[in-house]
Amino acid sequence: MRIWIEFALRESLRFLSHLDLMRTWQRALRRASLPLVYSQGFNPHPRMAFASALPVGATSLGEYVDIQFAINITDKEMAALQAELPAGLEILQWRVVPKKAPALMSIVKAAEWSVKVPDDQELPERVQKLLQSASLPIVRRTKRKVSTIDIKPYLYRLELKPSGRLEMLLAMGGTGGTKPREVLELLQIPAAGSDLVRQKLLLAAGPYLQSPMAVLLKEKEVFFNAKADYYQL
Amino acid sequence: MKNYKEIFWQEILPRLEKPTRYLGNEVNAQIKNHEQCTMRIALVFPDLYEIGMSHLGLKILYHLLNERPQWVAERVFMPGADLEKIMREENFPLCSLETVTPLAAFDLVGVTLQYELSYTTVLQMLDLAGIPLLAADRSESDPLVVGGGPGAFNPEPIAGFFDFFVIGDAEEVLPEIVQVLEEHKNLSRQERLLRLVALPGVYVPSLYEAQQTAAGTFLKLAPAHPSAPARVRRAVVADLDEAYYPTDFVVPYGSIVHDRLVLEIFRGCSRGCRFCQAGMIYRPVRERKKETLRQMAQKMVRSTGYEEVALSSLSSGDYSAIGELIQDLSADLAGEGVFLSLPSLRLDSFSQDLARQSQQVRKSGLTFAPEAGTQRLRDVINKNITEAELISAVRDAFAAGWTNIKLYFMLGLPAETDDDLLGIVHLVQQVLNTYKQAGGKGRPQITVSASVFVPKAHTPFQWFGQIPEAEIRRRQDLLRRHLRLPGVHFQWHGAEMSLLEAAIARGGRELVPVILRAAKLGCKLDSWDEHFRFDLWQQAFTENGLDLAACAQRQYALTDPLPWDHIDAGVSKRFLQREYERALKGETTKDCREGCLGCGIALLLDKENRGVCINENLD
Repeated sequence: MRIWIEFALRESLRFLSHLDLMRTWQRALRRASLPLVYSQGFNPHPRMAFASALPVGATSLGEYVDIQFAINITDKEMAALQAELPAGLEILQWRVVPKKAPALMSIVKAAEWSVKVPDDQELPERVQKLLQSASLPIVRRTKRKVSTIDIKPYLYRLELKPSGRLEMLLAMGGTGGTKPREVLELLQIPAAGSDLVRQKLLLAAGPYLQSPMAVLLKEKEVFFNAKADYYQL
Repeated sequence: MKNYKEIFWQEILPRLEKPTRYLGNEVNAQIKNHEQCTMRIALVFPDLYEIGMSHLGLKILYHLLNERPQWVAERVFMPGADLEKIMREENFPLCSLETVTPLAAFDLVGVTLQYELSYTTVLQMLDLAGIPLLAADRSESDPLVVGGGPGAFNPEPIAGFFDFFVIGDAEEVLPEIVQVLEEHKNLSRQERLLRLVALPGVYVPSLYEAQQTAAGTFLKLAPAHPSAPARVRRAVVADLDEAYYPTDFVVPYGSIVHDRLVLEIFRGCSRGCRFCQAGMIYRPVRERKKETLRQMAQKMVRSTGYEEVALSSLSSGDYSAIGELIQDLSADLAGEGVFLSLPSLRLDSFSQDLARQSQQVRKSGLTFAPEAGTQRLRDVINKNITEAELISAVRDAFAAGWTNIKLYFMLGLPAETDDDLLGIVHLVQQVLNTYKQAGGKGRPQITVSASVFVPKAHTPFQWFGQIPEAEIRRRQDLLRRHLRLPGVHFQWHGAEMSLLEAAIARGGRELVPVILRAAKLGCKLDSWDEHFRFDLWQQAFTENGLDLAACAQRQYALTDPLPWDHIDAGVSKRFLQREYERALKGETTKDCREGCLGCGIALLLDKENRGVCINENLD
C-alpha cells in the first residue's frame, strides 16, 4: 500500500541533513516492524521518497514522505510508527495514494515560508519596493558557472506580519523557483540564526496550488479539489 | 548555573559544520533530570563522535550505569575543530551531549584509553572543561577522573593525569566503584580513593612511588600507602554469557565509522600471537551461548532499527559453533530485512563450509591477517597459519562470490628480513593467481595493508625495541615498489605516528611531563593526519631531556624491571619470557584450547568459573 504522510519537523531535529532524516525514518519503520516494498537489485533499498529537502536549520509544519508498504496501513500502524519516531518528528496527516501516483518531488510547485526578522524600521519600505520591482535579478554561483536569474516570477507572495514575521510563498521545483535565503538577501536580512519555518508544501492543480493532502488523485493524474483550501496564482 | 543548553542550541549549533554530532537526543539516548540523580558520570571518548560512537565498551558502560534510575551517565566526545575554536574564543566549557552539562559539574569522569595517540586529546578535553590536567592540582570540587581500557594496562605515561584507573573489564567493577563513591560523597578525594583501592582492578597512581636502585635506575613502583596492594589485579568478567550487554544502542543520525549493531560473541583469544596485546590482556576466552546471541540480536534490531549486525570478537572464526551461529543468525535476521556481516575472520577458520553458510551474508569484503610473509617469521610471531591454508581459504572465498579481500601484514617484526617482506609480495601474487584459477572475472580487489610493529606491554614482545625510522621507511618503500600489481592496492601507516606510539606504549612516569608539554604545545587527535604534529612531539621529548626515537627503540633485558610490573594482567611474566625465548628459536606454541600452557590466567578466576581454563595445572 502506497501512502503519503504529512509530518512536522520540530526544533530538536532541525539540524538533520536530508540523508540523516531518511535514515531516521527508515530505522523508525524497522523498529515499528512495518514491512516495506524494496527495490530490486544488488543493493535493495526501501521505496521511500521525500517531497523536498528541507534546508539544515529550518523547522517545518508540512513535510511529506511517500512510502510503499508491503502491508495494508490503518491508523493502528500509523500510531505504531509515530511511537517509534524520535521526539521532533510528528505525523500530522496521511492518505492512501494510487500505486501509479506521480513522485511528490516532481509535482511540488511551491512552499510557504515564515521567518522571524529583526526589528528594523526601514524593513516595511524595502518589502514594498521589492514587491513593486519589475524584476529581481540575483546572482547564483555553482561550481561551474555564475549566472544572473530574475526571481520576480517565483515570488508569489511576500508579507511582513505585525508579529515581526515575514511570510513568503515561493515557487520551487523543476520549472524554477527561489529560496528564502535569496529573498532575505535582497531584503538585507542576515539569514544565520533566524528561525525559518516551512509552513506548507503545495502542488500545482491546474491554475491553482493545493496541499498534497487535498488534491484528487486518479491513476497518474492530479486534480484540483474545489472543496478544499487552495491558492490561486 | 548558566543555561548552557539554550546558549548551545541557539547561538552555537547553527554555526557548526556537523551539528548532528552534538544533538544528544538520538533514539535510545538516556536523558535524565540531574536534580533527581545521586551520581553523575561523564563517559569520555577522546576522539570525534563518529569514532567514539563506534566503540563497544562505551555503549556497554553507558547503558549499564543508566540502568540505575538514580545514576546518570552522559557521553562526551572531542569537539570538531570548529566547535573547539568557538569554545576557546567564547569561553564555553566542554559539555556532555545529552543535557549540555559542563564536564566539570559531573561527580566522576570516565575516560576510555583505546590508543596511545589519544592521550593529548584527553588533556585537551580536560582543558576545555576547565578541569586541572594534573590530578595533584585538582580541588575537592573537581570530579574524580578515571581511565580504563587497554591503555590502562601501562598507565604510567599518563599516571599523573588520572585520579585512578580501572584495569580490566570495567563492567565488572564500575558499578561497585560508583556505589562506593555514592556512599562516601562527603569524604575528601583522598579518602574516597582509599575506599576504592580495595576493589579489584582499581589502581590509584598517587599511592605508589618509584623506587630506584643504588645506581639510580628504575626498580619498581611500590605502594606508598598501607592500603595499596603491591600488584593490582585485573578485573575479569568470569561469565560473559551472564554479563550485562545492552540491546538498546543509541542510534546516531549521521553515519559513524562502524554504523551497525555489534554483537560481541566472545571475549579473549587463545591463539597466542606474540605481538598481540589484546590476545594477552583479554584472556581467557569467554563465549556467549548461541541462543543468548540470537535473542540479543533480535532485541537489538527491534530497539534500534539498524539494517546490519556485525559479529565482533578478536577472531570470530574461532567461536566454537561459528557455522551454526551464522546459519541461525542469518536466518533470523533475513526475516527482519537485516544483513549479517563478519569482520575479523581468521583465515584458517574460514572454511568452504563457512563460506557456503554465509551465502546470505553481505559480501562487503573479507579481511585476512597473515601478519607476516614467510612461514619462518609466522613461526616467530606464533601466527600458526600456512601458505597452503591461506590460499585454500582465499579460494573458498572467491568461489563463494567474494571479490574484495583485505590482507593485513605487519612490518618491522622482530627478526624480520627482506626475504620476509618479499614473502608478502609472493603471497599476494599467489592470491591473484588463485583468483584466476577460481574463474574469477576481471580483477579482484586486493588491499594489502602493512602496519608498523609497535611493541606493547604485557606481550611476549614487550622487551623488543621498534626498528629505527629510516629502516621503517626503507622497508615500506621496498614493499611499495614490489606491490605495484594489477588489482592490488597497497596501504601503509605513517612511520612517525608508529614511532610515537612505540615511544609511549612502553614508557614510564617520565613521560607524564612530555605528554603534558605536547598538549600545551597544541597536540591533539594525534592519530589524524591533519592534526598530527611530529615536530611538536619531538620538541616535547627534547625539552624533557628525552629522545623520542630512543624511547621507541628501547630494548629491555628479560631481567629488567618494567614500568608496568605492578599491573597484574593475569598472564604471568614467566609465561611471557618463555614465549619470548621460543620466538627467538622460531618455535611455535599451540592454541591453549588444545591443552593448557600455564599462562597464569586461571589464577584470576574462581574455581567454578574457569571456563576454558578449567584444566589448568595450578602448581
